Amino acid sequence: MIRAIRILAANPLSLVGVILVALVVFAAIFAPWIAPFPTHNGAVVDFAFANKPPSARNWMGTDLVGRDLFSRILYAYQISLVLGVVVLAIAAPVGTIFGLLAGYLGGWAEAILMRIVDVFLSIPPLVLAIAMMGVLEPTLTNAMLAVTVMWWPWYARLVYAIARSEREEGYVLAAEVIGAGTAHIAFREILPNCLPAIITKMTLDMGFVIIIASSLSFLGLGVQPPTPDLGSMVAEGARYLPDSWWLTVFPGLAILIAVFGFNLMGDGLREVLGVDE
Amino acid sequence: MKRKSLLAAALCAATALSSPAFAETVLRLDEVAVGELDPAKASDYADSILMFNVYDTLVLPQQGGPGHVPHLASDWSVDGSTYTFNLRDDVTFQSGNPLRAEDVVYSLERSQALGSGLSYLLAGVSAEAVDEHIVVFSLEQPYAPFVASLVRLPIVDKALVEAKKGDDEWGEAFLSANGAGTGAYTVTSHNPQEETVMAKNDGYFLGVSDVAPDTVRLRYGLEAATVRTLIAQGEHDISSQWLPPEVMTALANDGAQLFSETGTGAFYLKMNTTKPPLDDVNCRLALAHAFDYQTAIQMVAITDDVSSGSAATGAIPVGMFGANGPDNVQAQNLEKAAEYLSACAYDPADMNIEVSWIAEVPLEERFALLFQSNLSQLGVQSEIKKLPWALFAEQVSKPENTPHVSQIFVNAVTGDPDTLLYGMYHSSTPGTWQSPEYLNDSQVDAFLDAGRSASTDEEREAAYSGLNARLMEIAPTIYGYDRQSVFAASNRVKAPALSDPSQAFGLDGMGFSFRLMEMVEE
Repeated sequence: MIRAIRILAANPLSLVGVILVALVVFAAIFAPWIAPFPTHNGAVVDFAFANKPPSARNWMGTDLVGRDLFSRILYAYQISLVLGVVVLAIAAPVGTIFGLLAGYLGGWAEAILMRIVDVFLSIPPLVLAIAMMGVLEPTLTNAMLAVTVMWWPWYARLVYAIARSEREEGYVLAAEVIGAGTAHIAFREILPNCLPAIITKMTLDMGFVIIIASSLSFLGLGVQPPTPDLGSMVAEGARYLPDSWWLTVFPGLAILIAVFGFNLMGDGLREVLGVDE
Repeated sequence: MKRKSLLAAALCAATALSSPAFAETVLRLDEVAVGELDPAKASDYADSILMFNVYDTLVLPQQGGPGHVPHLASDWSVDGSTYTFNLRDDVTFQSGNPLRAEDVVYSLERSQALGSGLSYLLAGVSAEAVDEHIVVFSLEQPYAPFVASLVRLPIVDKALVEAKKGDDEWGEAFLSANGAGTGAYTVTSHNPQEETVMAKNDGYFLGVSDVAPDTVRLRYGLEAATVRTLIAQGEHDISSQWLPPEVMTALANDGAQLFSETGTGAFYLKMNTTKPPLDDVNCRLALAHAFDYQTAIQMVAITDDVSSGSAATGAIPVGMFGANGPDNVQAQNLEKAAEYLSACAYDPADMNIEVSWIAEVPLEERFALLFQSNLSQLGVQSEIKKLPWALFAEQVSKPENTPHVSQIFVNAVTGDPDTLLYGMYHSSTPGTWQSPEYLNDSQVDAFLDAGRSASTDEEREAAYSGLNARLMEIAPTIYGYDRQSVFAASNRVKAPALSDPSQAFGLDGMGFSFRLMEMVEE
């Protein structure tokens, strides 16, 4: 713990990352209390204040139907974070199981499991998600599903690479000699050695998931209005550039802050946990 | 410094001297893709712009007033359901072929055979060439708006199409890539997704003024932000009407002019009358009273003087047969809405009204949000659905797939109420993009048929007033506002047909007759 703090302190960028992530998480959790206009996350219209630039009343201006942009961005963080957490909470375990089994068992299991992974990895991730969303209805759940489907193979590959090198290690051989079962060796012996890498990757991926989800909703395939979503806010505002710049700039900055924060924090974690590049 | 300004002055003088002799004037405008060049398939605004410039019709709408005037025809006479048109004898096609009666017959038959675009307007009409310059139309049934429909019968060069068509019976491939009309502009290049370039036709039978643009570049599918920037930089001349109002306002504040065209159309929120709870008339009336009409009109205001909407007074736009007076302006009335809702057979707590909007028209998203908030004032849940046009057109073909509420902008393609309302409400035409109401009402059918076959204007007025009253009573649709099309334009172009009401055609797209526009030096 002390070592962790020391590393973080020696690396101010990671500290910035931790602070940014803390801010984003805080904003998302306490959105209903911080937001100056907590009702503006839904189907509210106030045309007297439509399309107004930033002011003391609306720090980030208002959108085209008069909703407070700052309030909506806070609520949009909720959607982004929930999406990120859910996607990684499914993708990481699924990928880890694939990778562990392939890496430890080798042979036929390896060939079959890793070829499945290769098939998924051979399709450009965003294209796969767009294709899925083309078939499915655009809802938050389906957006999560689409992103998850494109995400788990990366975990499978990461864990597979580690597991394959670990399976020749002395402690694995020792466990085999005393007659431990496959499941025990894979999950109790090898998995703990993969965890630092998995956790680091999850932190780094949080940012990417937020970007991909925003890209999907930028294309109109994600969360539907009136639910606030950073990607669709940027897409909506882009039509009104350069006059109503606040419509795109602030949601864009909000994405930047979240992604930047998670990336810096991920880098810091990598050092703390001693994971190689 | 002094030398520099002298030099600049000299350069200016040189340009001023040389410009009348050399400058080729170019008009640049944009529309939504796709630009359909085949006149028998033309249906939307971009198609109409192409059609009215490359082709001509027998009659034209009277500028600044009701009625029609001869154009390719020199005059016409009516005898019951037989219309005899004498053609001008001084008209030649762009190919050099002279215009003959058989071209008119061919154009009608081609349009009917292909059966797309607006060909339904002239169903049940047959034509015969009695001599080189006389054509006789016979109607199966009396059809009051027949002459008005002729503005949608562009005349095609039969000899040219026959020569170029190859194995293609109606020359579809040829006409979708080339012009074959008598129009004031010839097509020099055409890519339906990107751009159509047209040049002035010096052999036009009415002549084309020197100040009309020499070249016209009609581009498709430009982003709003792109159009905004191009106009501000002086690289674009007329925007499409689909530019969001905020962007038009910004352009107007920068000194751009605003053109407008009063089409006879409206913005509609169409309710699926077959889907619970909207199969109950009280429920529909509740929704119609809940909609905030005033705010909707404010949303489409561009400047203090120009707006793309004016208050609706009923089911028929102001200016058409059967329209109500200004004392019938539609307004939100939440008390009445609550009354109707309590009379509805369904429990409001169980309702979840789907409100769709067309993905290509971002403005509709705001109307959806407005309506959603109006409904929540009433305690009714709703859900907003974004539908790309193609998907919407497919979904409305089945009543069970059609959303509860569909937002549509519709204009009468000939300026006659028959073309606006028949396709929407007659029980024989359900499930098109115009008729997601699936209305089946014998009284409405009777009024529509009466309006179609009436022989005098008084009878038509009576039929359409009756229709208007009936439609307000059964509320298949929320009549949002009467609309006019507004375009932002640079100051390099003058378009009297789009800025002077006494020169306006009262027909969608006709104001874009480039031969009537003037390019001016800034």
